[in-house]
Amino acid sequence: MRRFSQLAVAVLALLATGIIAAGSLWLGGYDPLVAGAAMFQGSFGSGTAILSVTMVRAVPLIVTGLAVALAFRAGVWNIGAEGQLYAGAIAAAWVGLSWGSAPGWFLTPAALVAALLAGAAWAAIPAFMKVRLGIGEVIPTILMNFVGIYLAAFVVHGPLQENRGVFPQTDPISDAARLSVLVEGTRLHAGFLIALLVGVILWAGLRWTHFGFQARSVGASPDAARVSGMIESKRVLLVVFLSSGAIAGLAGGIEITGVTFALYEGLSPGWGYTAIAVALLAGLHPGWVVFTGLLFGGLEAGAGAMQREAGVPAAWVSAVEALVILFVLAGDQIRRRFGA
Amino acid sequence: MTEVLARLDGITRHFGHVKALDSANLEIHSGEIHGILGENGAGKTTLLSILGGIIHPDVGFLEVGGSRVRLQSARAAWKMGIGLVHQHFTLVPGLSVLENLALGRRHTGHRWTLHLKEIRKEASQLGKLTGLTVPFEASIEELGVGDRQRIEILKALLRNPQLLVLDEPTAALAPAEIDQLFRLLRTLAEEGRAVVLVAHKLDEILSIADRVTVLRQGRTVMTAVRADVDTAILTDAMVGSSSSEGEAPITPARNALPALGQSSDGLAQNRESGNRSVARLKGIDVYSPQGGLALQDVGLEVMSGEVIGVAGVEGNGQRELALVLSGRQQVASGKLEIPEHVGFIPQDRNREGLAADFDLTENVALALHRDPQFRSGPLLRWKLIGLHAAEIRSRFKVKSSGVRALARELSGGNQQRLVVGRELSRLPELLIAENPTRGLDFTATAFVRGELKKLAHDTAAGVVLISTDLDEILEVADRVFVILRGKLTPVPSTHDSREAIGAMMLGSRLEVH
Repeated sequence: MRRFSQLAVAVLALLATGIIAAGSLWLGGYDPLVAGAAMFQGSFGSGTAILSVTMVRAVPLIVTGLAVALAFRAGVWNIGAEGQLYAGAIAAAWVGLSWGSAPGWFLTPAALVAALLAGAAWAAIPAFMKVRLGIGEVIPTILMNFVGIYLAAFVVHGPLQENRGVFPQTDPISDAARLSVLVEGTRLHAGFLIALLVGVILWAGLRWTHFGFQARSVGASPDAARVSGMIESKRVLLVVFLSSGAIAGLAGGIEITGVTFALYEGLSPGWGYTAIAVALLAGLHPGWVVFTGLLFGGLEAGAGAMQREAGVPAAWVSAVEALVILFVLAGDQIRRRFGA
Repeated sequence: MTEVLARLDGITRHFGHVKALDSANLEIHSGEIHGILGENGAGKTTLLSILGGIIHPDVGFLEVGGSRVRLQSARAAWKMGIGLVHQHFTLVPGLSVLENLALGRRHTGHRWTLHLKEIRKEASQLGKLTGLTVPFEASIEELGVGDRQRIEILKALLRNPQLLVLDEPTAALAPAEIDQLFRLLRTLAEEGRAVVLVAHKLDEILSIADRVTVLRQGRTVMTAVRADVDTAILTDAMVGSSSSEGEAPITPARNALPALGQSSDGLAQNRESGNRSVARLKGIDVYSPQGGLALQDVGLEVMSGEVIGVAGVEGNGQRELALVLSGRQQVASGKLEIPEHVGFIPQDRNREGLAADFDLTENVALALHRDPQFRSGPLLRWKLIGLHAAEIRSRFKVKSSGVRALARELSGGNQQRLVVGRELSRLPELLIAENPTRGLDFTATAFVRGELKKLAHDTAAGVVLISTDLDEILEVADRVFVILRGKLTPVPSTHDSREAIGAMMLGSRLEVH
């Protein structure tokens, strides 16, 4: 019943968003039907659209969405997935560039592990501030996003800039470092499987393991967890925080090794922020994050098509994504207020 | 002559699928003290909340002063002269007492400014008149429950209500404080105001009320003048005559207390018979968060098979004592020997006992997830925990739709049954219970007290009952201590009369000969 009501909140939030989105298009002088059709065509309208665009776009959203969902479940308000993603991307690009002669079976995992570690390291600073100094994590994680974004910008203008020195980007990483393509003739890469794997691990971990239960307890009721006397809340918070950062970092590593093969300024269009919508719409449930990640991947995939076909600015999609967050939060409150 | 001040007629109110009130009626006369009785979940708090404008009825209407009104908010209720003092405190911790008293008060004339001086003058006048003295400058965290209760009442009286509604005001008070409160309520009634009072203790209601209304399962089953009723009649009305009701009242736990697959006899035998020490405290000092010593040179030895009662007025170090005894608080100095596993029934079950958004199984897991019996490697054995939860649910009669029901869907009494069941079912060597029956109706109260005694006497566990309810201490405890300003003093068995302990709780010196 509670699962059902959470699902109902998600569906109603999407419905409400759809209505407002359509209304805003209509007010803006666009034809909502034409725009909607273009969006659907561009996201789920063909095999190519699904495999090469939607699913590829969904990968970083799913992975950062999982990072956020994990943190939020334990009551860690990690708003820093964006910065952690950049840290992971920098690390992966660096490994892919500097160890270019290493064999693929080593280099790809090495790049991804580097991304994991870098993401965790990026989260370690606000995590330390929270656990040891008692400073709330929201502001530090947000600020670390800017540091991460500009660190990436610095790196591609300086130490890791391409040899030609023209564009603010790195040279392409060696072929050996790249994730393999899953379906021949499409852009769908093995990163999608990694995303699913992380989802399954988190789902099972939160549900079945002792540590997962401790994490959920700390999130559900810090006082009850403390008084139950058996949960080392600080250790749990620290592990969750670092894991969340690591997963967000992994998203950056996957993007480098699976899609762009190079680091450049503005690599992420704000995946780390959209991840919050992805996680909340999924009710912070790792299994559902896969679906909401695909949905948002579709939205972003369709945004391009919509801009081409119906002339709707792609930025409009960002507004729509934000609306989803608002409606989910409002819906959740209403659900709590009125029981069920 | 008495006139009808307020009338609730045919009130029905649902929460989700639960019918909290089912065409309930209540008539309040001016100048009376009206007691409301009922089991947990009978709808008392809902009824009061409707009077206070916080909850709106699905069906039915409210009349104040002869005309129908719709109370859209608490503010609207205040304007009609109805003042509600909540069961749970509504004071803002970061603010001073005076600022709390000023909350929600806006003097006509100056809309935008706060006139603390005027409020202070008004409050201290009223305080003198009623005997409700409070420290205006203190911040709320520094004060005990008794003080907070007085502030809540003073806050309500400052708005000069014609009808004062109190939801369990006596739960946290010492006997002398209760007497004082009752005298105040009587004075208010004599001024022609009406007082509506919910209390769990029958004798309290009987000692003060002019009329009594009994609720059962959301219905008004009786309204009577005090002189026409006695304990037996009211008890019958509250639980329903046992033969006609589908749900038999819970007898104070004849179902003994063996844990999973273990008989209590076997366990008692496993534990050495005779008195052995299960916990020992010596010279314990604990600092309170505000600085200062919350516990001062506390010594205590808990023997197996006994219930130790710690009486005291709220805020004298009980919290810290409970946390120290259960191994959940660092001590500044002193020697502490406690068993590895200590059962703990915390006072605030909503916040500390349970996670509201967890279901029964998960809440049971909160207490036993470290037990190797319920783990295999990194995994928790959820099936086993689920079975355990189901057993607790049936043995301790936790009314719920199942073990997947969320804790916040349970009534207060059933939440407490869950917490008590969870802690007792593990047969701890030492159990700490902190006001375990606060807010419970008397069947649940009798049940919990019976279980505490049984745990000590049948399974040779040591039980420490920390309670502000002196009657509870006297009923359950084998040895009594009084805690006052962080110091723990044994009560000599020659002096364990209600009056003597009550005096000790308030700091009067006890002459020991």
